[in-house]
Amino acid sequence: MRKPLSSGIFLTVMIFLILFWSIAPPLWIAISSISTRTELYSRPPHWIPRHPTLNAYKNVLIKGEGFRGGGGVSASRLLRKGILNSIIISILTTALVMFFAPLLGYAFSRLQFKGHDLFFYLIIGIIALPGWPVLIGLFSEFSALKLLDTKTGLILLSFTFRLPFETWFMKGYFEAIPPEVEDAARIDGCTYIEALFRVSLRMVMPGLIAVSIISFLSTWNMFAAPLVLTYTLKSKPLTVTMTEFIGQYFVNWDLMSAATIIAIIPPIVIVIFFQKYIIRGLSAGAIK
Amino acid sequence: MHIFGTNYLDKNNSMKKNLSTWLDNKQHLAFTIIIPAVILLIAFAYYPALKSLRFSFLKYNIKQLSRVRFYGLKNYINVINDPVFLFSVLRVLYFMVIATTAVLLIALGISMVLNQKFPGRSILRAVIIIPWAIPPVVNGQLWKWIFNGDYGALNGLLFQLGIINHYQFWLKQPFIALNFAVFLFVWRYTPFIAILFLGVLQSIPEQLYEAARVDGAGAVMRFYHITLASLRKIGGIAVILTLIASFSVFDGIYALTGFNEATKTPMIYNYEVTFDMGRFGKGSAMAYLVGLFLMILTFVYIRMSFKKESE
Repeated sequence: MRKPLSSGIFLTVMIFLILFWSIAPPLWIAISSISTRTELYSRPPHWIPRHPTLNAYKNVLIKGEGFRGGGGVSASRLLRKGILNSIIISILTTALVMFFAPLLGYAFSRLQFKGHDLFFYLIIGIIALPGWPVLIGLFSEFSALKLLDTKTGLILLSFTFRLPFETWFMKGYFEAIPPEVEDAARIDGCTYIEALFRVSLRMVMPGLIAVSIISFLSTWNMFAAPLVLTYTLKSKPLTVTMTEFIGQYFVNWDLMSAATIIAIIPPIVIVIFFQKYIIRGLSAGAIK
Repeated sequence: MHIFGTNYLDKNNSMKKNLSTWLDNKQHLAFTIIIPAVILLIAFAYYPALKSLRFSFLKYNIKQLSRVRFYGLKNYINVINDPVFLFSVLRVLYFMVIATTAVLLIALGISMVLNQKFPGRSILRAVIIIPWAIPPVVNGQLWKWIFNGDYGALNGLLFQLGIINHYQFWLKQPFIALNFAVFLFVWRYTPFIAILFLGVLQSIPEQLYEAARVDGAGAVMRFYHITLASLRKIGGIAVILTLIASFSVFDGIYALTGFNEATKTPMIYNYEVTFDMGRFGKGSAMAYLVGLFLMILTFVYIRMSFKKESE
């Protein structure tokens, strides 16, 4: 379609506006994280730091100076433990999702069995369960089960709440590939499980990647549940330990910025490498 | 030793074989797959929800465990008569209306731009997802620094542009703080809706626009009759999704303004009552009142998307 010149200029302006809207805020945090404290606390701000420094990162990751959080915990300990917990929780949740998602999708799309619809709606019904009633009950349940303040509890919880999405999404993926490919494998003597793993799994792989990526992101980003269900560094994820960087009277914004950048690097890297899958997962998740 | 070993192996092999024959039955296989999932969701979703339903009928403060007793509907009555709660509801209604309008309009604009062909389009498409991918609570802290009254970037920018003469403590002004909380949500949620819109826009054949152009339809007519018309169905879903999401905001506000009166939505107040004050009974009642409203919205959403699927 040929466009008049004015619309080309308009489009360019819009593109830059969208670019600015999306990355200016995180970019400013990145700049803040490498500014010296003097530059950071100047009016008006130095948009481009004159003496860039990695001091904030060093403090936040290694030295842990210049900050004492609640209970006198150093910044570096808060951050390092938080990162470690977040990685463990997100990876294990995603592993569970990767294992169960194809099985559940397969079961609900391919297998006729008693209670098919009942179980399907039981799983999908979780979407309609509001957060606070569940979390309040979970707090007391977790304390009875000794799951309070454990990574295991958080993993089981976040996996449970990924179930509706992965079931729904993978079911759709299986329905899109012809059942004949599995029938052929069965004639060759495969069991259902073998047919699933040898033949169909490869064909639903793009869907499985999308489900896994979105599970990883949402577990990494989870906040309200761990805020309620954890209370020591043994299990607090990064999102929770980060809020403790804001002290009661004073905030070290350079440390805060460095911590923010560290917390948003994994999601940003994932977005850049897997945007295709994320877009697929997001659209399907909302429409179906 | 040798004999035991063989025996054991044989037994093991035949057990494996039996198991795999047993599993090669649709009913058995389906149950083996589904039962663990069902156990998890009853244990960690439905059961705790029922547990808090029970709490909502108890006088139950975790700081005074000895005084737990049956309380009838008193918790619900207390919540409905609590002015802080009522104001929080009004606040969130304002929040939802402004947020939903803004998200839909901006998402429409972004998706229309991304629907054009230009160099670097796929990069821009990845870039716009970034606000959505950042943890919401980190998003709150990020903007808290930008809105900072002493050295924030917003103050710096407005000052340098000559729009303000003095640095402002934005978040200390109630109405501004509330609107900034709305903005925070809009910034984060718009990419998601834009991606939904973009998916639909990309499925409109170019020829449709060409044909309309040949028939003499102007840009406004084409926008109205083709672009907007094709977005109608997804638009309905987007409205419901945005209403649900804006009602449920917690992380961002918690990080931006905490329990500050100005931005206290029912979600924040519910957390404060339950986990800060320890009033599990009243908190549960509030959670159910608020949850009922959310459930209605969610059912509308599920119905709409199922309808969409069956068409």
